[in-house]
Amino acid sequence: MDEVTRAKLKAIKSRKLSPVENVQQAQERIAKLNKKINAFIELNPDALAQAEALERKIKRGGKTGKLAGLTIGIKSNINVKGLRVTCASRTLEDYVSTHDAEVIKRIRAADGIIVGMNNMDEFACGSSGETSAFGQTDNPAAPGHIPGGSSSGPAAAIASGMCDLCLGSDTGGSIRNPASHCGVIGVKPTYGLVPRQGLIDLAMSLDQIGPFSPDVYGAALLLEGIAGRNPNECVTLDVEKISYIDKLDAGIKGMRIGTSPKFRELTDPKVMSVIDGAIGKLRDLGAEVVEVELPHLEKGLPAYYLIMSVEFFSATRKFDGRKYGKRIEDVCGDEVLRRILRGRYISRKEYRGKYYQRALQVRTLIREELMAALDKVDVIVGPTVPKLPHKMGEKISVSAMYVYDYLTIPTNLAGICGGVIKAGEVGGIPVGLQVQGKALDEGEVLRTLRAFEAIL
Amino acid sequence: MAEERLKGIERSAEEIVESFVRAVETLPALEETYYSHELYNIMRPDGKPSSSRERADFRKRFVSNMPGADEDGNLRVEVARWTR
Repeated sequence: MDEVTRAKLKAIKSRKLSPVENVQQAQERIAKLNKKINAFIELNPDALAQAEALERKIKRGGKTGKLAGLTIGIKSNINVKGLRVTCASRTLEDYVSTHDAEVIKRIRAADGIIVGMNNMDEFACGSSGETSAFGQTDNPAAPGHIPGGSSSGPAAAIASGMCDLCLGSDTGGSIRNPASHCGVIGVKPTYGLVPRQGLIDLAMSLDQIGPFSPDVYGAALLLEGIAGRNPNECVTLDVEKISYIDKLDAGIKGMRIGTSPKFRELTDPKVMSVIDGAIGKLRDLGAEVVEVELPHLEKGLPAYYLIMSVEFFSATRKFDGRKYGKRIEDVCGDEVLRRILRGRYISRKEYRGKYYQRALQVRTLIREELMAALDKVDVIVGPTVPKLPHKMGEKISVSAMYVYDYLTIPTNLAGICGGVIKAGEVGGIPVGLQVQGKALDEGEVLRTLRAFEAIL
Repeated sequence: MAEERLKGIERSAEEIVESFVRAVETLPALEETYYSHELYNIMRPDGKPSSSRERADFRKRFVSNMPGADEDGNLRVEVARWTR
């Protein structure tokens, strides 16, 4: 597979492509495609001026950052000063951000150019991209099907080539699920590796910001740009800057790769058949594939929805319509309201032990099982989403919607990292291979993704 | 209609909670995990205070977001009904 990001960066650095031309190309593509795909809900009016400033710096021979001139879309729940950060909700439709999130400061410092805010499921509450108050997003890789969610806009923007890279957030699979459905690369970093300061919470103990890219190199590059300790955050990990690019092409010969029979039990056979083929290719590349036990994997789903609802209920109490925005319960969609009401119900004093504490115990169980499995192998591979995306507009039950998250949630509950790459297709619809690694083993995950990408 | 919608969503929210709790009731009782971390960075460093220009800019942006701000940038709030 072509490494488009590496080639583009090289073209910008060698002055064959100017940052201004790159931004103009992105803007033209957005103007042409966004009406149908709806991946962007706000554009940055200053993008061209920022590109011009960078171009002047390059002409002067000034030192440029590692994202120099690349166009970047940002999920609409990450604060970008001066742009409307709406969480795709009427609650915040008039909220113009007062500050940059820490990850945005780091992107700006690395000379990346933010082209706009991406669409998403309202307040990241969804797995389909259909709950945005600004209209649903189409799937460029399988038109007429859902792109997945909640980072629907970033995945669709990358799949349609509207910009070079995007940032999304992943609480229970919100980066990996749409990356799988749209056939792009998505990485959910270890909890605490990437600063969350400036992210509008869904569930603070699970949320993590991560990159979308058309290729593994781009994901590694953007992750390098945003990862690392933030002294102002209480859950930051004590990690200084890491290079993921250096070992990207090291190959996977001799690597121990785990896969679980549980995946087959939970997954559509058509999807599993594509994943089996991908695992065969990893074996051909010299990896040793072994079985690992994850006996309670599916119990992560109920535990996640209980924990997330409590945290979301708490996080939304500030949306009371006084300091900014509108009162959330007055204007939000059904799924957001369902999660708020569920969180309120579980948070009642009399139910705390029965529901919330029980869910936190299941979280411990899932975490211990994944850690034990990862003690025996370097990474665990399997399907990302257990079924194919439904058609846009098709009505499915709430519980059928939650099933999309079965295989991605455990990564968040355990706080470890995971990445997704397109493994193949079923009837023209992309199917993503998920690679999960130990805490802070993003390098191993990216190396596995890159080895697979290199043979596509 | 709004009342009906609220009741319907509330009912479905509670049903999901009950079904989820049933799904995990046979699992062993363990210690609870609140965060995947055990170490927390609770001491923030003393930073340089932001400049007066930055503070003024922030205030201007903040006020512009307030739904009920008056022309002087003061937050206008509804007088509580019970005081009337």
